[in-house]
Amino acid sequence: MIDILQVLVLGLALGGVYALMASGLTLIFGVMRIVNLAHPIMILTGAFVSYWLFTLYGIDPILSMPVAALVLFVIGLVLYKLVFAREAASAKYSEMTVLLTFALAMSFDGLLGALFSNTQRVTTPSYGTQAIFLGDLFIPTAQLYAGIASFVIIGGLMLFLRYTRFGYAIRATTQNRAAAQLMGVNVEFVSLVTFGIGLALAGAAGSLVSFIFSFFPAKHWEWIAILMSLVVLGGMGKLMGTIVAALLLSVIAAFVGTYAGSTWSTMTFFLALFVMLLVRPQGLFGDRIEEA
Amino acid sequence: MPELLEVSDVVAGYGRGPAILNGISLTVRPGQVQCIIGPNGAGKSTLMKAIAGLLPVRSGEIRFGGERIDGLRPDQILRKGICFVPQERALFPKMTVRENLRMGGYTLRDEALLERRTEAVLEQFPILRERAHQHAGTMSGGQQQMLAMARTLIVEPQIVMLDEPSLGLAPQIVQQMFEIMHMLRNRGMTILLVEQNAIAGLKHSDWGTVLDLGRTLFEGPAPEVLVDPRIQELYLGRSAAAAA
Amino acid sequence: MSTNLDVGNVLDARRQHDSSLAREKRAGRPLYVPIVLLLVLAALPALQLIGGYNYVLHLALYTMMYVAMASSWNILGGYTGYVSLGHNVFFCIGGYFSGMLLAYFGVSTILTAPFAGLAAAVIGFGIGLVTLRMRGPTFIISSIALLMVARILFDNWHFVGGANGITLPQLSLDARWMKIPYYYAFLVIAAVTVYTSYRIKHSKFGLGLRAISQDEVKAESAGIDTRFYKAFAFAISAFFVGMAGAVWGEYLTYIRPNIYLVILVAANMVLMCILGGKGTVAGPIVGTVLLVLFNEFFVATMGASELNIMGTGIIMMLALLYFPNGIVGTLAQKRRLPRFLDWD
Repeated sequence: MIDILQVLVLGLALGGVYALMASGLTLIFGVMRIVNLAHPIMILTGAFVSYWLFTLYGIDPILSMPVAALVLFVIGLVLYKLVFAREAASAKYSEMTVLLTFALAMSFDGLLGALFSNTQRVTTPSYGTQAIFLGDLFIPTAQLYAGIASFVIIGGLMLFLRYTRFGYAIRATTQNRAAAQLMGVNVEFVSLVTFGIGLALAGAAGSLVSFIFSFFPAKHWEWIAILMSLVVLGGMGKLMGTIVAALLLSVIAAFVGTYAGSTWSTMTFFLALFVMLLVRPQGLFGDRIEEA
Repeated sequence: MPELLEVSDVVAGYGRGPAILNGISLTVRPGQVQCIIGPNGAGKSTLMKAIAGLLPVRSGEIRFGGERIDGLRPDQILRKGICFVPQERALFPKMTVRENLRMGGYTLRDEALLERRTEAVLEQFPILRERAHQHAGTMSGGQQQMLAMARTLIVEPQIVMLDEPSLGLAPQIVQQMFEIMHMLRNRGMTILLVEQNAIAGLKHSDWGTVLDLGRTLFEGPAPEVLVDPRIQELYLGRSAAAAA
Repeated sequence: MSTNLDVGNVLDARRQHDSSLAREKRAGRPLYVPIVLLLVLAALPALQLIGGYNYVLHLALYTMMYVAMASSWNILGGYTGYVSLGHNVFFCIGGYFSGMLLAYFGVSTILTAPFAGLAAAVIGFGIGLVTLRMRGPTFIISSIALLMVARILFDNWHFVGGANGITLPQLSLDARWMKIPYYYAFLVIAAVTVYTSYRIKHSKFGLGLRAISQDEVKAESAGIDTRFYKAFAFAISAFFVGMAGAVWGEYLTYIRPNIYLVILVAANMVLMCILGGKGTVAGPIVGTVLLVLFNEFFVATMGASELNIMGTGIIMMLALLYFPNGIVGTLAQKRRLPRFLDWD
């Protein structure tokens, strides 16, 4: 019994981090219909920011989250202006934008690889190796902190979307871009800022990733498939769906990992994707994916 | 009477496609309901999209209160005081009725004012009050149209453009839509109306403008246009055949 | 209508225009180009008689392999419009199919390559039936997921050597002649692939595929069995990639997941098609030659493979942003396409 609880708690903590990793992706797809394959490499960029701040100046990765988020926010604004502004204006899904983000992912992968080489790294704050015991329940502190931080950020994001004026604008643009325009929303500006926010979320997730996983630039390819599976399962662009999918699959993956070996736990995400395509192609929570 | 909105020699079309509006000119006078009629493909909806800033104007100009507005973004045009209710009604299906109304006042910075006007609209439309917390996407077509039109009250624009408000609605509901339209007019808004059903549209209007092939064919007081023999001709398709 | 227009002149001009169109038609395909190209490529190994040109042969062989792969990808990604970013899975399946036969029974991969292609095609057909149900982002995502699944499976499949792969027996030939059999194998594979791509483009089947890429719903209502068409296109495009994979393994003398299942292989196929012109017959050839030359130049001057990845990514972005129709596509649009490249 305690074993099951144990796996469940670990799965949920990790699921929170996955949810945070995928939240920016979902947000960007919702507003701009851009499937951002470069999202995971942006997470890694955030991880490198926190890694170096810790290694060089001893700044705790949780504390450096705002820095990573800010750096990625700026990168997001620049990339949007340079690469996506033209395509995003049409706000239709297109193969071209996916290939663009794919190329972007490759460029950043190569850049990070050239700068920092493809060796395994991990940020090692003091709590990185500690654990908390609740009775027989054993929780690694790092994962606990990362999970809590993720839930806090996601909660903040949801409040922001629900109650602020700009949050309204983002939701409105997601649901009906033309209508949002007619209500006086400057959708171009909303797209720009949303892209920035999406990458800022990636940066924040990167800070957490830097101390719970060992990472290297080329690792993002694996994450692309995992995170994309979550977005598809969540119903493309549905934030709540993505979060539920992340938590659900992480828990399942945790059980698979415990009882069948860690190699197969990542497989859970991909198999879930293919089963979903067979059974319910619109995703767990999606109504219908709009045709381009 | 001074002109409120002036469209002169406007050419516009979709993407790289052919021009749909071929140098159209028309004027909108304040305080009237002006109905635009014409056969399919005459450019009625395209004209409204061009005015609303959803479609770039290739040449010609659009002036609102003497000021050029072509080339502005849709949100800027709304702020000037032109509100567009398109055929698709421009609702947010996953937002509640109340949230939809509040989105209508997105350009209002004054929270208290926004709240007051939202309440006023709900007061005036009991059906919307009843469904205030229901998602807009779950309502009937008539209710959605009512919401879309009522929403314009929140910004109190000078001009409301309605693109086929009767589309797909049952006859008794259509009557209701025209009543809401008159209510908007009585609040001091000028109405620009596109109607497929020319007879019904003209009956509820003060002024009628007939479009064909992206140009203004002729116009006049609605009752006169209604009995004009050329209307018959146009809707029998003879003039379209001659033009082709 | 203006009245002072001379009707005779107008008719003359029209006749002239018609006859110029007809002349263009009569000229037909410049058949000599591929024949000359094939002859030159077939004669190229003779270089070995006068010296050591292994590098040249390797480069030509490598280019021909990617011509086959890019042309093959083009049948699905270019004609049908379904972008697969995991197409190297079939490269891998072909490689392991023939590689294992070579390792256990000593049969040359050159002989078993068609069967390797067939195996890849059958698996591709099955996978296509599932993943091609969804148009748009989901298909692309599923193709990446497929790549990851394959990587995990092959990395952990002990029978085929897991992540270390297995070493394949080498031909007992002098180093000078070592590349020759594989060279000709790839020449044949590339030629057959390009010819198939050409035939498909000019067939009713190809018309159906292009209809699907334009508007799938309309294609379906026009009576095209879109599900079968797509899956069949997927199978064909897996077939040639699988064949290429089969021979590539023996040529390298080993099969290992990290030579087949790296994203760069898939990226190359996609990029070659985009650079040359997605959906055209000659495009993948032009794109492949350019990209191989670029890569060689890059590696020769910079060396580092990470920078190479970055360079590939940046070129791809620039191509997509400023040159989305590729070289052949853009020239054709401007009606400047030289005839020897006009196969569409």
